[in-house]
Amino acid sequence: MPNEFLFVTVCAWLTAAVIALFGRILIVSRILLVFGCITAIAAAVLSLPNGTSMIVLPTQLAGEQVSFQLTADGLWLLGFGLAPAALACALASPSRQGQGGWLFGAAASLVGGLGVFGLQDGAGFLIAWEIMSFGGAVMLLSERLTADVGRPVLFMLSLLEAGALALIAMILLFAYSVHSFAFEAFRRAGSDLPYWIAIVGAVLLVIGFGAKLGLLPFYEWFPGAYGAGSGASGALLSGLVMNAAFFALSRGLLDWAPGQTGIGATGLGIFVIVIGVVSAILSALYAFQEEDWRALLSFSSAENASIAVAMLGAALIFRADGRQDLAGLAWMVSLLHLAGHALAKGGLLLAADAVYRATGQYGIFHTDLLRRGSWVFGVGALFAAMSLAAMPPQAGFVSEWYVFQTVFQGFRLDSLAGRLIMALAGAGLALTVAVAFATFVKVFGIGLLGRSARPATSISGGSTVVVGLLGLGVLALAVGMPVWLDALRVAVASEFGAQVARDMHDGFLLVPLTAKFAFISPTLLVIVMPLLAVIPILLVLMSRRFPIRRVPVWYGGFDHDPERASTTALTFSNALRTFYSFIYRPTEEVQREANGAVHYFVQRLVFTHDVAPIFGPYVFAPAIRSVFITASKLRALQSGHLNFYLALIGILFVIVLALALL
Amino acid sequence: MPLWTLIGLLEGKQTAPWPLHDGADGQSGFIGMPRYHPERCGEGCDACAEVCPTHAITMRPSDKDRPLDIDYGRCIVCQLCTEACPTQAMMPSSDWAFGARRREDLIWKEQPQTSTSIRGKPVSTFRRSLHIRHVDAGSCNGCESELQALNNPFYNLHRLGIFFTASPRFADLLLVTGPVTYAMLNPLRATYEAMAEPRWVMAVGTCAVSGGVAEGGYSCGHGLEGVLPVDVYLPGCPPNPAAIIHSLLMFLNRMPQRVRGGQLAE
Amino acid sequence: MTVSQATFLRPQQLKDVASRLRERGGRMQMVYAWHPEPDRTEVRYVVTEPNQHAFGIWSCDALGGVPSLAGIWPLMAWHEREVMDLFGVQFLDHPQPQPLVLHEGANPVRPPFDSAYPHDVTLQAEAAKQSIPEIAGAEADVQLLPFGPVRADVLESAEFIFFYIGEAILHYHPRLFFKHRGMEKRFEGLSADRAVILAERVSGVGSVAHALAYCQAVEAAANCIVPPRALFLRVLLAEMERLYNHLHYFGHLCHTTTLKVGEAEGKLLEEHAKQLNVRLTGSRFLRSILTIGGLRRDLSPDGWLGAELQRLRRDFSVYAERMENTDSHLDRLITTGKLDAHVAFDQGATGPVDRASGLDRDLRRDHAYAAYGQLSTAVAVRESGDAHARAQVRMGEIGASIALMQEALSRLPNGSVRVECSVMPKAEGLGWAESPRGTLFYAVHFDSQGKLARVKIKSPSFSNWRVFPYTVHDSNMMDYAINEASFGLTIAGCDR
Repeated sequence: MPNEFLFVTVCAWLTAAVIALFGRILIVSRILLVFGCITAIAAAVLSLPNGTSMIVLPTQLAGEQVSFQLTADGLWLLGFGLAPAALACALASPSRQGQGGWLFGAAASLVGGLGVFGLQDGAGFLIAWEIMSFGGAVMLLSERLTADVGRPVLFMLSLLEAGALALIAMILLFAYSVHSFAFEAFRRAGSDLPYWIAIVGAVLLVIGFGAKLGLLPFYEWFPGAYGAGSGASGALLSGLVMNAAFFALSRGLLDWAPGQTGIGATGLGIFVIVIGVVSAILSALYAFQEEDWRALLSFSSAENASIAVAMLGAALIFRADGRQDLAGLAWMVSLLHLAGHALAKGGLLLAADAVYRATGQYGIFHTDLLRRGSWVFGVGALFAAMSLAAMPPQAGFVSEWYVFQTVFQGFRLDSLAGRLIMALAGAGLALTVAVAFATFVKVFGIGLLGRSARPATSISGGSTVVVGLLGLGVLALAVGMPVWLDALRVAVASEFGAQVARDMHDGFLLVPLTAKFAFISPTLLVIVMPLLAVIPILLVLMSRRFPIRRVPVWYGGFDHDPERASTTALTFSNALRTFYSFIYRPTEEVQREANGAVHYFVQRLVFTHDVAPIFGPYVFAPAIRSVFITASKLRALQSGHLNFYLALIGILFVIVLALALL
Repeated sequence: MPLWTLIGLLEGKQTAPWPLHDGADGQSGFIGMPRYHPERCGEGCDACAEVCPTHAITMRPSDKDRPLDIDYGRCIVCQLCTEACPTQAMMPSSDWAFGARRREDLIWKEQPQTSTSIRGKPVSTFRRSLHIRHVDAGSCNGCESELQALNNPFYNLHRLGIFFTASPRFADLLLVTGPVTYAMLNPLRATYEAMAEPRWVMAVGTCAVSGGVAEGGYSCGHGLEGVLPVDVYLPGCPPNPAAIIHSLLMFLNRMPQRVRGGQLAE
Repeated sequence: MTVSQATFLRPQQLKDVASRLRERGGRMQMVYAWHPEPDRTEVRYVVTEPNQHAFGIWSCDALGGVPSLAGIWPLMAWHEREVMDLFGVQFLDHPQPQPLVLHEGANPVRPPFDSAYPHDVTLQAEAAKQSIPEIAGAEADVQLLPFGPVRADVLESAEFIFFYIGEAILHYHPRLFFKHRGMEKRFEGLSADRAVILAERVSGVGSVAHALAYCQAVEAAANCIVPPRALFLRVLLAEMERLYNHLHYFGHLCHTTTLKVGEAEGKLLEEHAKQLNVRLTGSRFLRSILTIGGLRRDLSPDGWLGAELQRLRRDFSVYAERMENTDSHLDRLITTGKLDAHVAFDQGATGPVDRASGLDRDLRRDHAYAAYGQLSTAVAVRESGDAHARAQVRMGEIGASIALMQEALSRLPNGSVRVECSVMPKAEGLGWAESPRGTLFYAVHFDSQGKLARVKIKSPSFSNWRVFPYTVHDSNMMDYAINEASFGLTIAGCDR
């Protein structure tokens, strides 16, 4: 039954892609995309906790049959990724042009993502991966929201292709070792593979998927690419696409990694967790300094993906030490984290679109929109921001809490290296969470709450519904977590052999395998907090009313626009910019333009500021320079002389002849 | 590095005993408002009225017993009248405690019959704790200098429970100096509006009471009359810190009002 | 000095003459306008020639406009704007021809000093767009705080507009003249001796300096010789005023660096000085003593003032030494609000502010008046131009003041203190004094009845407020209050 649903899904998406290409009756295309998402979510709901049954597709790739099967964790991540994707497709891109192209790109991403989740052999997987990247690029390019959209998309694609090369290398390496492209063969050969092949393969996996997830140094394409598109594109990229990449990485590292125990496994785990934590710290810091909704949220996506990857590393370390239950806990945490993240990030990116529709720009500045829009939008955006800032009782808080509980239990490890790394990871993650909290206070506080005397604009009804739904979804995820955990019970039991999903909750309490260690309960919080609020509300209602006389804000005698002196996005993040200046290397410049020759009489101040990326100048710029240098050297081949070309042909003939004779 | 706290403690108490106890108030030798002795006025003499820069002294040709009208709310203590008077009808004195609740108390009258003290608002809540918001509506900075002196160790306003606050939201009393220039009129009104009730207004300095030397012209008003409802008037140019303290305590019903009909009761 | 030696220039000559003045090391002091007849307007320039006691006066007819000298002498920008506002004279090619003294929106029916200005019609303040620099680039990131005019604590009213990013101040624009009372116009029509009362109240804490400059201007116009005892007593009064002003300065400076006991000590010393003033003259601000031709009555400082000044000097030396040894206090002052010497010169800084930036100028020594020519005036100069230097200059001045007073007391001649002065019709005079904040000029013109026709006041705070913003740009909020306190300016003197 679920496979039928998935078939309907694929048909709907492909039809939507074709219609979008024609550029007519695009509303049908949108409806089909949404319908496809809904059927896929239905398939996921029906199949969990067991997963779908394998079906063999009537095609052959690289001499092998292509099969399709969705495991439970794949269904979990797919379902949560499709929720914001469906709503993003329902609203579609706010750009006035290129709707057809955008819908086509969305359909391609969705189809590719589904393939990444489900295809069970290397060749098919790589094709689906490339289709997913292609869809993302098409979405960004069609929107044409900024003038220079080509350069950041090119940067994105080049880094993604670098990752894809790593993936191809890895799959070829494994396929050569096990003589088959099928993932089942990879899994079975797991502990038999030569040691170095497994390690190199694992590192290539981290590079390959890290390019999409935003591990260092690959997060640097995020602000440019997300900043060239719309929030809807971002919702798809941060939801479905990121979940797909993580699913593939987790399957690769856990199923195909070298054995279950040993130094290699611990070393790999340490490598992964260090990459994850450092990426998380750097992306969180850069997220905080951004002043564009999309760029800030893109860095935040990289940060959250890095936290999930760090948990994956923790799972590897625990498993290498023989603690299967803790490994299972870490793995579950990463899945929970990405589920909540997909919903919340989708909510905020679509809120960014709402801001764009209302004000015409994506900058974080005082818009006064919360006051002028519906409360549903405000509450939805607030819940999403709270979740990303890891505030109770939201889903983000639940998964962050679990992250720290997992890391705290590192003392149960035997190896000193493991314990040390867990402690350091905890410290790094604490910094990340703190900066993330400040970041979302900035986004919500300045971007939505900020008062302004500008002309009135308002949030559209569609955005209100969408953001409200996603915010509600975030809260529902947290509150109903004891129920949702059950969906992964089969997956974690089969992967780690421990009843982790059952042990992660104790009635309404959420516990890290044992209630004696710690517990939280969003379910109960959601009931208790409103009850606690009743007392002060009653006190206010019963208190004496004094006549209220309203007077303007006191400014020293004049009536001024409160917005002009309010904290701006730069001011809010300026202190951290100075404190971490060794990372940011910030620049601030004031140019004073004076009237005439005498510089004393300033008429105009031109103010510019910037932070410098870390890897851009040291890694990517030299690489780009070397490509240019090589290209200019190779330019010599295009000399334009007929005799030169004839000579080249002659040399080639000689070489061919020599090879044929040998 | 000097130990400032220790230095301060060793310096001892520098605060004047007045007004909490009898003792020096720091104003000995101070030349204040001139005293009028109508019986000494020469027939048809208008020397003082002619020389007064603010027209505080005007002639009353019809009245032989009291040929002059003196409005101390306009007096800038320049002593020109005492120097011009040939018959010692206007004599210099050291009268400075001219804080009054009613404007008419500053106008010279024959000694009033009643000697009941004038009490008024505010109620006792503020008696030991008053917060003042000061607004400079165009003064010459002399009044500000004396107001700033109130917090020096000698006068030490804090010991009386009276404080200057930064925001009108926290203030009970609005203390205004200056003749209210055209540019300060709206900010002054906005400050008054920004104060929560109960609130009162005090005019410190002759400029605030009636305009002083800077009255009228193209940029100034005539003090606070018609601008804000005034509860305490204190003329002087500038009134010394002891006069300001006296008028504040008078306002709080902790000291009696001394000026009646333009004359200081003992 | 009388101004019969005014040089008459044509508007086209002004820029050349001004450039040549700069080349030979002179200095432009101010420009003002007046009406010699109701329908004629003349602009007057007061300049300092190097190594000359007298000041140069240039006179130019203003009909049809006058070229602006702000390109050669940036300090003239504010003076010319004031003339534009109050007299309606056109200054051609002025780099910032926006209203200064009258606020935007005041819109008088005619310039207030016009002879046809309706009597006693008061301006109305209307809300209008202020002329402040425009922000381009990342303008959404720059915060704009208009602070004032009603400020925290007991302070004078002025509005300060900050362009800032959290802590860092990008640009600073003070909007003064909320306290503009039109004092100069009030002099018109008064007789010279009555107007001393007015001069005393232009700047309350500068009563003696203003009255002295005014009296000297009238005495110059009347060719009056003031008796020697009055000259020495005038020195005494001027230095007493300098003393209590500088003591107040240190109290306020310690307040901004939150040195609480230092603040209390400084303000207590100021109170002692003011009580000495009362003992000497009956007025805490030394008012009602000065008049045209000398003093209104004799003073008797003998036998007690010398000892009191010694005591004050001792107390202050101890206090100053303590402040100079307090690291937390010095930390807040050193390198704060640095004023470069060329900016100080270009923008017309005066008094302790420019002496702290290395410019050695003092009217008491260079253009001696009253009895200063017979006394030895030590001038304190520093080079670093920061807040600490400004404080140190004033410390030096306190010591020098007390030494001057002791010398004046020891050499106080006997005799009368007043002489009658009569002013010729159409007389003119220029008087000056070194007030505690810098150079103060009074230019007086009399009409045909011997009453005052025009009095122009150039106060030191007017000049120094022009300079102050250049020390605030690109500084930070924490240092702002300390920097403003270190300048020690009044707003009443500037706004008049």
